[in-house]
Order: sequence, then C-alpha cells, then structure tokens
Amino acid sequence: MPFAGRLLAFLLLAALVVAAWHLHGSVFYGRVSSWVLLSGAVFGFVLQRSRFCFYCGLREFIEERDARPVLGLLAALAVGTIGYAVVLGAWVPFPEAGQYPPRAHVGPAGWHLLVGGLAFGAGMAFSGSCLSAHFYRLGEGSLLAPVALAGAAGGFILGFNAWEFFYLRALTEAPVLWLPKHLGYAGALVLQFLAVAALAFWVWRRGAVQPPRPAVGRSLRGIARAVLVERWPHWVGGVAVGLLATATYLRSMPLGVTSELGRLARKFGGQAGVVPANLPGLDEFPGCGTAYMTEVLFTPNALFVIGLVVAALAGGLAAGQFQPERPTWPRLGLALLGGVLLGFGSMISLGCSIGTLLSGIQAFAVSGWIFAVALVAGVYGGLRIRRALGQ
Amino acid sequence: MTSFHRPLPGEASHPPSIPPGDHPPVEPSQVSHASIMKSLVRTSLVSAFVGVLSVVASAKDVLVTTDWAAQNANHPSVRILEVSVDPGLYEKGHIPGALNVSWHNDLVDTVRRDIVSKDEFEALASRLGIKPDTTVVLYGDNNNWFAAWGAWIFNVYGHGDVRLIDGGRKKWEAEKRSFDTIPRAVNPTRYKVAKVNPDLRARLADVVAVAEGRSDARLLDIRSPDEYNGKLFAPANSKELSIRAGHVPGAVNVPWVKAVNEDGTFKSKEELRKLYAEAGVDGSTTTIAYCRIGERSSHSWFALSQILGYPARQYDGSWTEYGNAVGVPINNPSGTVWNGK
Repeated sequence: MPFAGRLLAFLLLAALVVAAWHLHGSVFYGRVSSWVLLSGAVFGFVLQRSRFCFYCGLREFIEERDARPVLGLLAALAVGTIGYAVVLGAWVPFPEAGQYPPRAHVGPAGWHLLVGGLAFGAGMAFSGSCLSAHFYRLGEGSLLAPVALAGAAGGFILGFNAWEFFYLRALTEAPVLWLPKHLGYAGALVLQFLAVAALAFWVWRRGAVQPPRPAVGRSLRGIARAVLVERWPHWVGGVAVGLLATATYLRSMPLGVTSELGRLARKFGGQAGVVPANLPGLDEFPGCGTAYMTEVLFTPNALFVIGLVVAALAGGLAAGQFQPERPTWPRLGLALLGGVLLGFGSMISLGCSIGTLLSGIQAFAVSGWIFAVALVAGVYGGLRIRRALGQ
Repeated sequence: MTSFHRPLPGEASHPPSIPPGDHPPVEPSQVSHASIMKSLVRTSLVSAFVGVLSVVASAKDVLVTTDWAAQNANHPSVRILEVSVDPGLYEKGHIPGALNVSWHNDLVDTVRRDIVSKDEFEALASRLGIKPDTTVVLYGDNNNWFAAWGAWIFNVYGHGDVRLIDGGRKKWEAEKRSFDTIPRAVNPTRYKVAKVNPDLRARLADVVAVAEGRSDARLLDIRSPDEYNGKLFAPANSKELSIRAGHVPGAVNVPWVKAVNEDGTFKSKEELRKLYAEAGVDGSTTTIAYCRIGERSSHSWFALSQILGYPARQYDGSWTEYGNAVGVPINNPSGTVWNGK
C-alpha cells in the first residue's frame, strides 16, 4: 500500500509539471499561469507537510499549551514582512506620497473586519480548519472538507447579500491605514517586528515545555522520512510560507485562496438569482477579488488552488496520510455551519486567514491586524461553544 | 493570457475612467428624475463646450496626464508602452500596467539602418495585443525622446490613436508614484497595418533637395546651438558620430528643449506656435525635423505634427547620415575641422 501511495504521489506531481509546462506554452495562459500553478503546488505541499493552519495552531496553543505551531505562524508573518518590505521599497519608493502598493491586500481598517474576523474564527473552530487548510485536507481525503467548502460557498452568497450594508456602514466610513505611509518603511518594519516578537515571546512563555523532536535518522532514508513523512518543524513551515508569500507577491499576486471560490459563488449565485446583481464598490477594494472576467476556463486563483490541492494530495499519499475517515453527523453539521461562517467572514473581509490576515499583515496593513484580533477571539469563542456541545 | 479587469489599489476608490468615446452604463436603480434632468443639462452643456473646443483644438488627444495613465493603464482598449533606452529600466520598475518595447530591437531594423519593417511592426503590435482601435500610449526615459520615436513609428504605420504621457518617466517619478515589475498580461492579436504613411518620413534625397533649393519644405534642426553651429560634432559621450559638423543649409535651429517646460511636459499649443513661428516655421509648408540620430527630432516632430497639426516629416537619418554623406552641402559657421579625435 505505501508503495502504491508513493507511486500515485509521484504521478500526481508529474502531472502537475506537465500541466505547468503546457500552460507555459499556451497562448491563452502563458508563463504567469504556469508559475501560479507551481507556486500553488509548493504552497499546498508546505501546508500539508508542516500542517500550517491558523486554526490548528491556535487550537493547539489554547487547548494543549503547545506554542510551537503559533510560533510557526508568527515566523511566517515575520519573514513575509521582511520580504514584502524589500519588494515594496522598490515598487513604492515614496510611501508617504499616498499611493498604495499594487495588488497588495491593504484595505479599509473598518469594523466590518471585526464581524468578518469573528465569523471566520468561529467558522474555523466549528469546521476544524481555516479555508486553506480545508483545501489541503481535501488532499488528505478529509470528508469534512468538501462539506465545509460547500458551506463556504453558501456563506459567500450570504455575504454578498449583506455586502451593501457593510459597504455603506463600514468600508466607506473607514480609512485605509498603511503603516509605511505614516511611519516610513523603517518605522513600519520596527513596529511590526516588535509586535510580532512580543506576541511570540508571550506565546512561548505561556506554552508548556514540549518534548524534543526525535533526531533525523542519519541516512538517506532518515532524511526522506523527515521530509516526506514526519511533520515538519513548525518554524520551517512558517519560514517557507513567508518566503513563498514574498515570491508570489513579486511575481503574481499576494497569497490568497478564496478568490475562485467567491467568484464561482458569485457567478452561479447570480445566475440562480440569490446573489444581488448590484454589489456597489465591491471590485474596487484590494483583496481576494471575485470579479475576474475571463475568457478561459481557469482563473489564476483557480490554478493556484488546484495546484494546492493536488500537491497536498501527493504529499499526503507519499506520507501515508491519505486516510478518509467517516465523520459523525454532528461533526458534519458543525462543518457545514462552520463553512458558512468561513465563507461569510471571508466575503465581508475580502479574504481569509491567508488573504486578509497573512497577506494583509505582511503588507503592513492595519486591516490585517484588526482581522487577526477578531479571528483569534472568534476561535476562542467558537472553541468554547464547540466543547460545550461536546464536540 | 487572461486579461484581468481589476483596478489597482492606490488609484483611489473610484472606478477606472474610460477613454473618451466609451461611457459606462448607468444602473437604472441609481437614477432619479431630478438627477436625470441634471445630468442631461450637464451633458448638453459639456457636449456644446467640447464641440466648440474641438473645432478650435486638434482633432484628437495626443497627450495624456500621469493621472490618466494611472487610471487607465489596465483598461482593455488601452496599451501603455514604455520605450526607455537605458537597459533594465523597465524591468527595475515601470508604470503599473505598462508593457516594454525595446527601441534597439523592436522599433528599428537591426540589420540595415532603417525603421522597423512593416512585418516586424505587425509582429510587435500583435505581441502587445494591439487592435486597430486600441489607444496606444507611450512614455519613456530621456525626456520621452524614444517614446516619441515610437509614436512616430505608430503613426507611420497608420495606427489611429497614438499618445504620449506628458512628462514621461521623469514626471511619474517626480510625482512619487508607485512602480510595478510585473508585465501586464495581454492576449496577442493579429495586427495588420492598414495604411503606411511614408509622407511622415524624410529621406536623404528630400533633405538634399531642400539644401539645394529645389524644395520649399522648411528644415528644422532641433539640436543644441553648439551642434547647429558646428562647434560640437556631437554631445559628449555620444557613440554615434559624424565626421563633419554644422547643419544643413537653410535649416533653422529651435532646440528641442525649448518645446518643453521644466518638468518635461510639452508647452501649451499657443506657446509652441509662437516658438516655432519665431523661427519661420508656421505650418504653411512641410517642416522636416532632424537631429543627430532622430530621437530628439521625433520629440519635436511630435510637437509640430501632433500637437500643432502642422504637416511635418521626421528625417530619421538625421545628422549621423547627413554629416557622413559624401558630397552633400553643409553649413559650418564655426569652421571646425574634423581631425579624427
């Protein structure tokens, strides 16, 4: 069985490479599409191998006092912050001049982010993962993930219906706060670094001492095991995500996984008449946009997510972690409800834990921080409710 | 490659404005009777004003502001092209949404000294995703000289809507605007040149004809006065030289720099008209502009032909051809002699 799994994993990766090569030469897709597919694959593989997920990390810290996953998340923020600062310094040489960096997820710092973050956090707690993790868990055979993603599509539709309210009452009333504009790059870097470092220190102190990781076996087999089977050290995953976030921002778009899901929800919801045709101002804000008009079948974000899922599947198969479990009905119900909250929260916040929190904070957006605070609160509250329900 | 219809952040939170001629549809739910009346009145007043203006002004817009470029760069029927002669400038950072055109490879023939051939030009325009009705907007380094050459080429090959970003790269930087390193994704098209305009181009024979008094065209030398007088064979650090100095007999001198303001933008139409009239260039006959290699003269050609609407030709061979040609008449007031140094 393990051999079959590894063979399948190899075939999947080969298929990805062939697909990327094909896209590269295609008139309709081109180099960037190929890059996007491959970077999605790298992301999915890293997520699966290091189990990088905002929910899992927070839960493990809250319930098991294991600080390491959260430290990995903070490492991603720290590394990405530096990377973004390097790129932003080239693209926006005068941050005080009032221009915002192209494509960066810097949005209005409004109270809609509190609502969205709370909803998203609770949704993570109920469904067991954030949206990007549900995508990678699809690759591990999770049967909750499809339910949660279906719920998320529904949540997006709910969000589109509530959009006008939030647009008029929150987004248009709130300023866009981009730290380098007010503090310069040096000031923004120092401030953000101090914030992340302070959080890291506090988390580390509150965490219980963990048993040391087993040493890597001193053989090729041992290395292969460490890379392909064992869970990666959390800081490795965090640093990898931070580097990848910088690379994708430089070459294509900031990291984000909800664009395509939202776009499909918007398109089919619109056709079914459950999404309002008039979504004022929605497509003017940076973030995981849902309005791509495209003449081809796969949008860039679709390619990114496909790459993510396929590579996560390959990673799971190679590690022997493709283990579909039959979930109980209460868990399925919670996953659906959680999915709806995830979708709703993402829609209102124009992104999720990756698109708004990670990519926003890395780009020095205060909107990212506001979303993060609400998200943590949502996870905490959602966990309490869920445990009270005995799940 | 898919085209993304997304405005960039930083372009303020209003939708991208569309080049004149297209109007976004208005949602019926947003419009009330009072506002219909108001906008009707407003539209008719504006149309009347524009109608009057267009009789007086040139028939088409040929210059755009940096603001316009910022807002419309990603519009499907606009193509912003950077033509910078310094290598690597575009790659280091360009106007978001701009595409790169290499002057040395894309706008000239690389084998014979000539402008880019029709076939190569069609291949270039196709690669950039240009259609016959695309608004082509060029900008670049070095005061937009090479971008003006690009604009001239597009006009020679009959493209309808060709403009320059007034002030070029320098103005964009001076306004502290942001850059991007990702090239815009465009779908290639099959561009065909409908009509070549050879009357925008002057050849050596045409210029010699003027020098020998056989043509009534006016010659305009737009180099610095010291080059015109023959004191300098070429500006310092020029690689392309001539072995004779001076100017074509009968040419008048209006240095290119007099056509622009401090920030690199073109002077107003009235100021330009006055500037050239003082030198005897008033559009009553064809003007032939030249410089050293034809890049600065493209800039002045643009001012004459596009802004002022005068009949004007660009002599792309310029002084590097004329000053190296055997047996052509030359005026060298300063009397300098080439000594091989």
